[in-house]
Amino acid sequence: MELCDIPAYELSLLLRQRQISAEEVTRACLERIAAVDGRSGALDAGSLTPEDEQKVHAFITITRERALNQARTVDQKLAAGEDPGLLAGIPFTTKDIFSVRGTPSTAASRILANYTAPYTATPVARMEAAGAVMLGKVNLDEFTYGSSNESTAFQPAPRNPWNPAHVPGGSSGGSASSVAAGEAALSLGTDTAGSIRQPAAFCGVVGVKPTYGRVSRYGLIAFGSSLDCPGPVARNVVDAALMLQTIAGADPRDSTAAKVPVPDYLAQLEGGVKGLRIGLSPDYFRIAFPDPQTGEYREQSLPMDIESPVLRAAEVLASLGAEIVEDVPMPNTRYGIPAYFVISRVEAASNLHRYDGVKYGYRTRQPIDDLTKLYRQTRNEGFGLQPKLRILMGMYVSAAQYSAQYYQRALRVRTLIRRDFEQAFDRSGKHRLDALLTPTTPTTAFKMGAVYGDSVLMQYADQLTVPANHAGIPGLSLPGGLDADRLPVGIQLLGPDFSEDVLLRIGRAYELATETEDWRKVKPMVLR
Amino acid sequence: MSDSIDRDTFDHLVGLAALELDQQQADYLLRELNNQLKAIRELAAIPLDESVPASLHGVPYASAVSPELRADVWQPHPNPEEIIAQAPDTRDGYIVVPDIPHTTLE
Amino acid sequence: MNDYEAVIGLETHIQLNTTTKIFCACKADSWFDPPNTNICPVCTGMPGVLPVLNKAAVEKGVVLAAAMHAELRPLSYFDRKNYFYPDLPKGYQISQYDQSLAFGGYLDLPVPAANGQPAYIRKVSIHKLHLEEDAGKTKNAGHERLIDFNRCGVPLVEMVTGPDLRSPDEAAQYLIRLRQLLRWLGVSEADMEKGHLRCDANVSIRPRGATYLNPKTEIKNVNSIEAVRSAIEKEIERQIREVEAGHRIEAWTLEWDEEAGVLRKMRSKETEADYRYFREPDLLPIRLDDAWKADILKALPELPLVRRQRFMNAYGLPEYDADILTSERNLSDYFESAVKAYGSDPKRVSNYLMNDVLRMLNETSKTADRLRLTPAYLAEIIKLADAGTVNTSTAKSLLQKVEESGMAPGEIVAAEGLAKVSDDSAIRAVCLEVLAESPKEVESYKAGKVTLIGWFVGQVMKKMRGKADPTLARTILEELLA
Repeated sequence: MELCDIPAYELSLLLRQRQISAEEVTRACLERIAAVDGRSGALDAGSLTPEDEQKVHAFITITRERALNQARTVDQKLAAGEDPGLLAGIPFTTKDIFSVRGTPSTAASRILANYTAPYTATPVARMEAAGAVMLGKVNLDEFTYGSSNESTAFQPAPRNPWNPAHVPGGSSGGSASSVAAGEAALSLGTDTAGSIRQPAAFCGVVGVKPTYGRVSRYGLIAFGSSLDCPGPVARNVVDAALMLQTIAGADPRDSTAAKVPVPDYLAQLEGGVKGLRIGLSPDYFRIAFPDPQTGEYREQSLPMDIESPVLRAAEVLASLGAEIVEDVPMPNTRYGIPAYFVISRVEAASNLHRYDGVKYGYRTRQPIDDLTKLYRQTRNEGFGLQPKLRILMGMYVSAAQYSAQYYQRALRVRTLIRRDFEQAFDRSGKHRLDALLTPTTPTTAFKMGAVYGDSVLMQYADQLTVPANHAGIPGLSLPGGLDADRLPVGIQLLGPDFSEDVLLRIGRAYELATETEDWRKVKPMVLR
Repeated sequence: MSDSIDRDTFDHLVGLAALELDQQQADYLLRELNNQLKAIRELAAIPLDESVPASLHGVPYASAVSPELRADVWQPHPNPEEIIAQAPDTRDGYIVVPDIPHTTLE
Repeated sequence: MNDYEAVIGLETHIQLNTTTKIFCACKADSWFDPPNTNICPVCTGMPGVLPVLNKAAVEKGVVLAAAMHAELRPLSYFDRKNYFYPDLPKGYQISQYDQSLAFGGYLDLPVPAANGQPAYIRKVSIHKLHLEEDAGKTKNAGHERLIDFNRCGVPLVEMVTGPDLRSPDEAAQYLIRLRQLLRWLGVSEADMEKGHLRCDANVSIRPRGATYLNPKTEIKNVNSIEAVRSAIEKEIERQIREVEAGHRIEAWTLEWDEEAGVLRKMRSKETEADYRYFREPDLLPIRLDDAWKADILKALPELPLVRRQRFMNAYGLPEYDADILTSERNLSDYFESAVKAYGSDPKRVSNYLMNDVLRMLNETSKTADRLRLTPAYLAEIIKLADAGTVNTSTAKSLLQKVEESGMAPGEIVAAEGLAKVSDDSAIRAVCLEVLAESPKEVESYKAGKVTLIGWFVGQVMKKMRGKADPTLARTILEELLA
């Protein structure tokens, strides 16, 4: 096993024992990147070569020198016997939706392509303060708007390491693919409707969407401000816990970062699941979506390949002493996407107002003598179709005359979605769940180009993940097996507010119990 | 409730959004907007009585977990010049944009 | 004009005098700073930043709302007001829309007598009172605009009156009283020249006696008392001309160009519906619980107009005195302390204040609380004069000496031997001396020019360096000349 394939926790032990150096680890990752990543995402990248189609393309910017300098600093501290921090020498990537001072922070959009952030996002600053080594900024859907990563303005778009003909998912596609391909041990992603959990599921890695307010959003370029959550992408649950430990907690720069103490996730991690009540809900084993042709709502049960790993996980957890509670009703699950279409668009349209060619980023090169024309030309040239779509929808549903029927109504539907969870987790209620176990996604990774362009169908990829964003609750996606095409299937755990410790504990118990199963030995195609 | 977004409404939205679209983009976006509206329309059927308030955030922010307000203490940003360095056009410390025309009332 | 009545509402933006901006830790006052130096990622709307509310801004807003008799909401929210303008870096202003800090309220505006009309009170209702962030500044440079973000995020209270004002003078009076109140409360420096208090005026006209409202125009940028008066006057005249010519008044937005003294029509204005207000998801609601509210409001002082009335009622001061003495909170506090120390006759204290202390304040540009001539010293000086220990002119010069030295009046009198000489024999000796030296004047006096007695008294005072009791000197002189 190469250094870059060793998970963060073990790397951390080896580094502390000084069996390896941080610089060696960093160089191993840079070599892996050189071997599998292909060319980094760029504007106006031209058409794809056959070679491009075999590569991962996780990165937009590789911060090689910065990483090597950070690694050397860690090595110096280790040599001097100083405490180098919880994540000392651990290589990570950052979704390019986070500001990192002195680096391009593009949001995968032309409109920010030439923008260099003058400050660093809190979660990144916490990673670096803990000694982690940032290898670079990874690709995403433009402004995170998508579930496949294809909408990035920086092409080639990332590809799924398990099969480069398939999407890595999105919007944290660069995060998930970089971790799956062994380019980095950890990645910092964001989840607004499933953007950490869905690509984690597609790429066979662990993704945590923390409780809203658990991790500071300061420096995260906003999409849906009431939904966005920064969180870890990792190769296993221990690493995810290690990373969450580092980035969680209140922040004087984020008024919504809750004043809730951060538990010691690692200390409780292997406490087992005995006595925990874990629910299954029929509402998470079907999806409802409008037929692309007729627009009629269709309900459809999930494919066996998706369903069976979840049921198998339930059996495993039951065998470990958990109590499985079936038939938990979550009737408002199906409204997650319609409500999301409204809430996220209103917030997105407003959040995108600031990109106007005045202060930073792209300004049209056309000669212009009128400010209004400058705005229009700049935004037209700078934004791709997906931001435009979100802006227009947001404008429409928040117009004064429609706000009550759309926006206000959607906020109330959010309350209903939240109530489903409150009832399921109610300590004195009927179900008294500690967690709900569900599939993460309705399908495994689809082929590139198969869904892109149909903005409705694309959104429905988030149907099983978006309720947690509406409700604010934490969610964890774990690898649960492979489908017939040897593509990863994700299973999801959802829990009450600030119950990340419990979700991680359940995830770790499942991970340990299935450690030796055959599917865990299969490697992503790009590493075979 | 209007059933779909017509071209006039669409053009109005485009102006409000400070965008300018070519025909092909406009066609795609209008089609997708109306498709999304079909999905959104499902919300209209959900019974919502008085007991269902709007939630601004999913997580309720009780006072105990709400961060304190900021104390009124000056902490100057160390590198304001890095901020202005991002602007496409500057002069003498100012950011420069084209004019916003006015007309004098006679 | 006589056939028409003006209907005026004022929208004021009040910069709160906090140390820092409303959502970031840059300083609020950057009047003397070079452009774009008092900025940070938050107030310049860099991608990814978040606002964090300044506690002091809320507290000052609460004080102002209470002083306007507004109702405070226990839970109020911030909203985004979305629009494009280059001085607004986020493309939205964080403001408060439907659940603002406070609602309702009024100001009982005293309008002084003028042009034969008696004084009266105009009740001005407050329609809106909310917290928001200020925008940056732009200035013209040929065909370009130059933008400075230093002011972005300075805390503002926006306060909008009902359409209750009826003349340019009333509008000016409202601003004068508001400025007085803001300084009184200590919530704003309220310096209009520096834009601490800015005003937009909504103006319409209607036939005198009508009760309906006609379409109004909004005049932006009327930023001095004089500008408010002239811009509104001009606009009323214009509207009358238009109506008389059979034209309709359109709901334009106008800009007052102070230098040229003209109104300009602004090109486009989004209507309210287009702002697409929605709750600011980056901020939690302001929870003004009872304990916090009580804590803030325990420092709420008696309001200037209330104190003005009390000075008239309780101290029997004329309106003129009461008005001046309550023009500024320090001065009125000073007056009350001095009256208390003096123990009687507030008008006598007022006279000293209005004549001498005010001049001293103007000359030194001090506020009353900074005077070394404390209220107690002032009272002591007046008492010295009352007791005849010093004469009036000595008393007045004592005011200056105390202010310069900081010494107690009694000490100065003792040290400089300023006490009035009331010893009959000492004065008599000087009187004799004066008469001996002035045979011509004595002759004139005796011939009937008795008004010369004042001149003789003056000579005696001069010789005694002002310390003689002039009444006594006069009696002695008259006796000697008889």
